[in-house]
Amino acid sequence: MSTDRGVGLLEGRVALITGGAAGIGLGIATAMAREGAAVVLAARRIENGEPAAKALRDAGHRALCVRCDVTSRIDLESAVAATIDGFDRLDCFVHNAVGGSATPGPLEEVDDGWLGLLATTVRASFDAAQVAHPHLAAAGGSFLLLTSAAGMEGSANLPVYAMVKASQRALAKSLSREWGPDGIRVNCIAPVARTPAMERAYLANPELEERLVGRTPLRRIGEPTEDVGPVAVFLASNLARFVTGQTVVVDGGGFLGL
Amino acid sequence: MGTRTLLCGVGSLSDDLVARLRARGHLVEAVDPSLLVARTDAANAVDAAAGSLGAVDLVVHVLAGPDGPTPLVDLSTDAWVDSCEDPMVGALHLLQACRSHLGAGSRVVHVVPTSAMGGAPGFAATSTAAEGFRALNKSVARQWGADGITTAVVAVAPELLLGPAASSAGGALTGPALGRTGGADDLAGIVDALASPEAAFTTGSTIVADGGTWMAP
Repeated sequence: MSTDRGVGLLEGRVALITGGAAGIGLGIATAMAREGAAVVLAARRIENGEPAAKALRDAGHRALCVRCDVTSRIDLESAVAATIDGFDRLDCFVHNAVGGSATPGPLEEVDDGWLGLLATTVRASFDAAQVAHPHLAAAGGSFLLLTSAAGMEGSANLPVYAMVKASQRALAKSLSREWGPDGIRVNCIAPVARTPAMERAYLANPELEERLVGRTPLRRIGEPTEDVGPVAVFLASNLARFVTGQTVVVDGGGFLGL
Repeated sequence: MGTRTLLCGVGSLSDDLVARLRARGHLVEAVDPSLLVARTDAANAVDAAAGSLGAVDLVVHVLAGPDGPTPLVDLSTDAWVDSCEDPMVGALHLLQACRSHLGAGSRVVHVVPTSAMGGAPGFAATSTAAEGFRALNKSVARQWGADGITTAVVAVAPELLLGPAASSAGGALTGPALGRTGGADDLAGIVDALASPEAAFTTGSTIVADGGTWMAP
């Protein structure tokens, strides 16, 4: 784990990141911690999240891990309560976790396995919003949803994934308008970055990486901590204090149709 | 022969749309959206409607919303499911059930409020589902295009689907350029045009039919 330090953009702030044990969630947590935030890694498996939190602590950051299955409202409430217990406030709730089945294929073959995807993305966004709202209002904080360009351009391979990711983006827009008067900002990041899930996809489809890189003007796949994390830092920080209801696409320019 | 249209929707706009399309010569069979949440019920309802029509040239799914606004923090989980998740599940089941009845030249149209794109305070759940509809429509366009099946979204003024309280929810600085927000007859004309072979080279796109309020891409 790098011990890099930022310039304190999030000094004194507290962020909770679902799916924080690995991939983009851990990248965001790490980038936020480097900028001074205390971070809470909400992880479905504590045995995955705790080593990540310990590594952050060993690097001199404030971090803890809480077990949280985002399909459980009680778990989300517990995660927020643990955040308040541990760090006294919640400035930024990042809903990054995604689970369930999004098996590529024809729409006709989508079975009820996709309901897990719906639960971890759409329902969890609803529950997280309700649970986090009073704390974000108290802190003048922000709510950040991870979405996907698939939700904007549709996907021939992952039709229900595109559907849920699009819907999260619309939720962010409506919430930005409902919560603006409360001083809460709501934004989305649509990233393409190297994650364990993507590495598995490369194994299943060896040409995928070449194809993805080929359509990306910057000719590489993003890194969770170095490429996606700083955008989350920006959106959580005072630098973005007048930015709400927006989606920032962090994919090296692969999708330009916003 | 008139356009064979399977229409799924509830509420006055949907009812009026059925009448207006029939007036334009469409053969219309209606499917109750409450039947779409269970996959088997959806398949049975669609098969019955398609059986009456013989084949399906046009599928229209009109997203329904609640009568009035509720801030998200005050929304019950049941209300969230009713206004957001069930419509999304139903949209998937409807298209799955329709697929075997569609062929080259068929068109799938989703009708949603423009709040899918612009958000609407008090109507977050329906607006969330609406954007899900739009993405589903795009994905289906990509999957079924090779078979000659096309899709489109028609986005209408929020108050047409969400009631009068939604009239100011769009947050527009100015009213519609055409001076009114439109109604079922305006919508029927656009839907009818989309069903025409003359329109067959547009797919996966959203046509905003709100009289010129929302003009963003």
